Amino acid sequence: MKLHKNCQGDHPDFLSALSRRDFLQVGVFGTIGLSLPEMLRLQALEISKVESFPALADAVIHIYLPGGIAQHESWDPKPFASPDYRGPFTPIKTSVPGEYVGEKFVNIAKIMNKLTVVRSMTHGEAAHERGTHNMFTGYRPSPAIKFPSFGSVISHEQGTRNNLPPYVVVPSQSIPEQGTGYMSSAFGPFALGSDPASKDFTVRDLLAPKEVTTSRFDRRRGMLAAVDEHFRTVEKSDAISAMDSFYQAAYGLVSSSKAREAFDLSKEPDKLRDEYGRNTAGQRLILARRLVEAGVRMVSVTYGSWDHHSNVRGGFDSNAPAFDQAFARLITDLHDRGMLKRTLVMVSSEFGRTPKINGTNGRDHWPRVFSVAMAGGGMKEGYVHGASDALGGEPDRDAVGPEDLAKTMYRCLGINAEKRIMADGGRPIDIVNGGRVMNDWLA
Amino acid sequence: MRLSALLPLLLVSLAGAAPVSFDEVRPVLEGRCVECHNPAKVKGKLLMTTREEMAKGGESGASLLSPKDGEIVKRITLPKGHDDIMPPKDGPLAAAEIDLLRRWVAEGAVWTSGVVLKARDKAEETARAELTAKLATIQKLEILPPSFSLETRRDLHRVVVFATFSDATTRDVTAFAKLNVADGKIARLDGFSLAAAGDAGATELVAQIGGLTAKAPVAVKDGLKDRAVSFRLDVMPVFLRANCNSGGCHGAARGKDGFRLSLFGMDPAGDYVRLTREMVGRRINLAIPEESTVIEKAVGAVPHSGNKLYDADSAYNKAVLEWITNGAKDDPADVAKVTGIEIFPSQIVLEGPGATQQITVRAKYSDGTDRDVTELAVFTSNNDPVAAITKGGLVKSGDRGAAFMLARFNVYSITSQVIVIPQGLKYERPKAEEFNYVDKAVNERLHRLRILPSELCDDETFVRRVHIDVVGLYPKPDEIRAFVADKSPDKRAKLVDALLQRKEFTELWVMKWSELLQIRSGINQGNNAPPFYKNALLYYNWLADRIGKNVPIDKVVVELLSSSGGTVSVPSVNYYQNELDRLKLSENVAQVFMGMRLQCAQCHNHPFDRWTMDDYYGFNAFFAQIGRKTTDDPQEVVVFNSHNGESQHFLTKQNVKPKFLGAEEPDLKPGDDRRRVLAEWLASPRNPYFARNLANIVWAHFFGVGVVDPVDDVRISNPPSNPELLDELAKRLTDYNYDFRRIVRDIVLSAAYQRSSKPNETNAGDRLNFARSQVRRVRAEVLLDAISQITETPNKFQGLPLGARAVQIADGAVSNYFLTTFGRAKRESVASSEVKTDPSLSQALHLMNGDALNERIRRGKVVETLVAAGKKDPEIVDELFMRVFGRRPLPAETAAVVKSVAAEPESRLAVLEDAFWALMNSKEFYFNH
Repeated sequence: MKLHKNCQGDHPDFLSALSRRDFLQVGVFGTIGLSLPEMLRLQALEISKVESFPALADAVIHIYLPGGIAQHESWDPKPFASPDYRGPFTPIKTSVPGEYVGEKFVNIAKIMNKLTVVRSMTHGEAAHERGTHNMFTGYRPSPAIKFPSFGSVISHEQGTRNNLPPYVVVPSQSIPEQGTGYMSSAFGPFALGSDPASKDFTVRDLLAPKEVTTSRFDRRRGMLAAVDEHFRTVEKSDAISAMDSFYQAAYGLVSSSKAREAFDLSKEPDKLRDEYGRNTAGQRLILARRLVEAGVRMVSVTYGSWDHHSNVRGGFDSNAPAFDQAFARLITDLHDRGMLKRTLVMVSSEFGRTPKINGTNGRDHWPRVFSVAMAGGGMKEGYVHGASDALGGEPDRDAVGPEDLAKTMYRCLGINAEKRIMADGGRPIDIVNGGRVMNDWLA
Repeated sequence: MRLSALLPLLLVSLAGAAPVSFDEVRPVLEGRCVECHNPAKVKGKLLMTTREEMAKGGESGASLLSPKDGEIVKRITLPKGHDDIMPPKDGPLAAAEIDLLRRWVAEGAVWTSGVVLKARDKAEETARAELTAKLATIQKLEILPPSFSLETRRDLHRVVVFATFSDATTRDVTAFAKLNVADGKIARLDGFSLAAAGDAGATELVAQIGGLTAKAPVAVKDGLKDRAVSFRLDVMPVFLRANCNSGGCHGAARGKDGFRLSLFGMDPAGDYVRLTREMVGRRINLAIPEESTVIEKAVGAVPHSGNKLYDADSAYNKAVLEWITNGAKDDPADVAKVTGIEIFPSQIVLEGPGATQQITVRAKYSDGTDRDVTELAVFTSNNDPVAAITKGGLVKSGDRGAAFMLARFNVYSITSQVIVIPQGLKYERPKAEEFNYVDKAVNERLHRLRILPSELCDDETFVRRVHIDVVGLYPKPDEIRAFVADKSPDKRAKLVDALLQRKEFTELWVMKWSELLQIRSGINQGNNAPPFYKNALLYYNWLADRIGKNVPIDKVVVELLSSSGGTVSVPSVNYYQNELDRLKLSENVAQVFMGMRLQCAQCHNHPFDRWTMDDYYGFNAFFAQIGRKTTDDPQEVVVFNSHNGESQHFLTKQNVKPKFLGAEEPDLKPGDDRRRVLAEWLASPRNPYFARNLANIVWAHFFGVGVVDPVDDVRISNPPSNPELLDELAKRLTDYNYDFRRIVRDIVLSAAYQRSSKPNETNAGDRLNFARSQVRRVRAEVLLDAISQITETPNKFQGLPLGARAVQIADGAVSNYFLTTFGRAKRESVASSEVKTDPSLSQALHLMNGDALNERIRRGKVVETLVAAGKKDPEIVDELFMRVFGRRPLPAETAAVVKSVAAEPESRLAVLEDAFWALMNSKEFYFNH
């Protein structure tokens, strides 16, 4: 169902049959701290119950390449197009017969047989922040509503696991669209606050200060419990219990060495870290793997700068090799650990770039057609969905929109994106408005 | 049922040998016999709904009513347990009932002619019994609506008889009252609806119950004439009611499945064209009206994505069909318009779950007529668990609480308030403290809800609460001790008066206004236009100067909105640099100064409020003539009155004249600055929303929840939880000449504000009625200032001297990790939700491990100094508790710390610092309670 562009949230449906509808389960919100009146408000507006799916994946690593990576130089080369369309590189063959990738994707070419590549993504937003919004929320930007990012929706729907925050951004929240939109900040991303590639990488506030030893931390904790006791017995409020639950989560993180170690890259063998690459791509991706391995549900990684209006060759020379090495190693690493089947890896960008090389040897913004690559988590192996036309300028067949991608990603996690979440003003909003679950992609 | 049957019996026995009347036996027959012997069931081939059927008898052939040996008497007098005894369920009839029936048959079984008996359902019986029990306490009996005017023979008005009891509960007694029209030649009752019986005249509708009588005048005009079905008055309302023109269906911008209607019917002329001129002969088939697509789809005769909407023989379908049959004509240009709607009753108090009340809605038209539109209005409840409402307007009570029923018809919305109280509650109105008008309104509301307020809080709680709320500071130990020791009875008032004179009070409100006015640099970064940091600072200083001098808020707002000049030389014009889009600018003004969100009405009439697109563009027109020009200094942009520019309606593309929201079109003279004209109306008592909005913002600051909540979402479908309170606050604020210091004083010195947060049985779930104080997390700036004050470590912020408070930061763009993490407003939008007090993992980790606390505890040397001064452990614990919690420690709390020190005497300082850390990580520190 398409709604007016300024008004994508769905209004309460006054006259729908009551029998189909059901109240939200209070339990879903129990740990998150919605206050009772809010709960009542949510109940007051009945939200339709949707079919539930079994999860195909336990976690998502979303690798975002900001700026808009050119499809010709990456996932969708045109080896037989004339040079002003083909671009400065020579496409290379991959482990999937008949399929090519860009020249710089040397390692990715070898693991192409583990990927699902969608070459017919399309939307209508040629500005960075608007395209980014599409690819982080599945919604077109709206002046009326701020939509939550994938990670916030996943936090809202699935909560924490193994004392770890459900949604982590690596290295930090550089893009506003990674935020919580209309949801409470409680569903916001946990940001590392420092780059895994830096020498003195540590996560902010994760460790007690040096002078606070384990035994001293325990003493503090004991005393905090003692001085908290009175207030806890006197005052009852959802806000208080919500804060309590975050303190428990923080304790879990600080005192569970296993949870904390998820953030500790020094626990990785040097050899493997080298193989990922001692650079921002390699270290961010190896950390992402550690995080999902430990129980984080959504890791949102950003890498590089792909807005190559001029000198696309130079841009790829400096950005692509590290990504190629790290991404290919990530896929084989996940595969070797037996995690790939239950971990969805998704590589996307706000849009593609113009099919024809421009006057400054670059390519400009082009949302008409571009590519997204995925692996694991229920996706087929060695599968290419859709195609762009001969020049890489329009979808040739099986066009896919951001809402289709979003809905399918949620489906892999076992989230039915037809569910509605209540926004301010008692306005129920679909997790994804319209869109299809792309069953073709699923193994 | 028994009760209801007994009541007439009692009367009979008192009256002695009077003949048995039909009204006496009717409840017995309807209650015990008709359930099985009616046309739907016909047990033993016997019907008992009319006298004739009873006389005829069932399969045994014997007449029930034969005066000598009526079968009915035989069967009801059989011994208990006999195979043929009647009734077979729920035991034999009572002796009095048997006697009654026996005498009735013997006397010839009188029957009121024309009456067909109907089985009484259980719910109705229960209601009847309850009503009978409370009959004596009816205080007021009303017929609703209070008067009727019937025009044409199509006009049908539903009647509701409404009783108010001495305990303030209400009941729909329509079904139990005796209703009749004084002059049956003028009007008649059709079920519970009133229709014309004659062509013209006046009469009365009379309702009687329990010795009380209510009357309502009835006027009939053209009662025998017919009127033609009109597209706008009869057909369009069907589309709204059946949801055809909602946003999810044909009202969507692109329509649905090839057919588009205007959203919520805002464009009837366009809808007429689309229906009749697109796909001629298909949507409307004048030759065979029944085969028009618009008919077939709606009644489900052909597949329809929206499924079947109503039955073919429903009034909805008949109206549309009749309009098509008559030629699907457009209305004449002077067709009547709806001028308003009324809802009856507007205040309902139901007792216990499952009670019902019929609501009716009446529309008034520009030609002076009215219609009952209950069947055409769209009903919703804002709180289904408390009270749900059916499509037909029947309210059904649920849990204890308050709810609003919203009825929408045409472009109008209206609400009726429903309060549900528990059944058979033991309740006596408490003698709650009443310090001023605030308490009068709050206590009255609590009484109606049968909620008991919590007691007043103790002195330690009060002094802390009032410090944090009024001046944004945690009280120092000495201040607390002095206040607690003070024995004077008016010490709370004295404290409040002293706090209101402090500069920190002003600073706190400058900060709050800075949020509303979005004082922030870099909003227009992309345009490389002001406000830059310098502009933000000047703008802030302008505001701080006005509030510091206690300039009345209306004056400040007029100066702000009508300001012209450069962003450096006249800092208040920076307001117009926050938002360069004219539509958003006018939306922001409405949201900040009137608490209203007009956004919806930009593209369609507001679905849950009164605002239409005409209102929207009329309001927008005040901002149509803003001119801007740049100067040599990029920081200086001049905002001026350009004297031209109009507001164009999104749909009609016509220019719309400036019109105040919900009020008149001003008389503009050439050369008038429209913004000034608007400002002078906006910030004046002529605009009822201004004072209400300000009062509500102030209230929400002190209670954590507005009387309308959120404060910037005033709409008919989000009514105030206590309208009398908000009215009174607004009135006082206006009377005080918008000096909000005085309104703050009233609020803070009310008993409502001084209540303890400790709940009692009745108010534990209450948040909106102010029966107790709510614990509220302290906002980011105040929290950081408190940490700084308590740990004795000064803050440093950009552009401010060392030791400045976070509250004093001028620019919304200036922040630090602590403030951002704890939810300081970025001032990027005017939404009240910018200030966040939601907890997060990062907050917990930051206070636990981060430098905000650990480093400050060490640097401030608070504990070190106490230790160096030779204080003993309990004294140090005392001091720390007073600093952080504003109270003395409990013995157990002191003991816990002292014990920890004793366990590790060699690291005494560290242990005591850990205690300090623990206090500052405790929720008692974070929350104002």
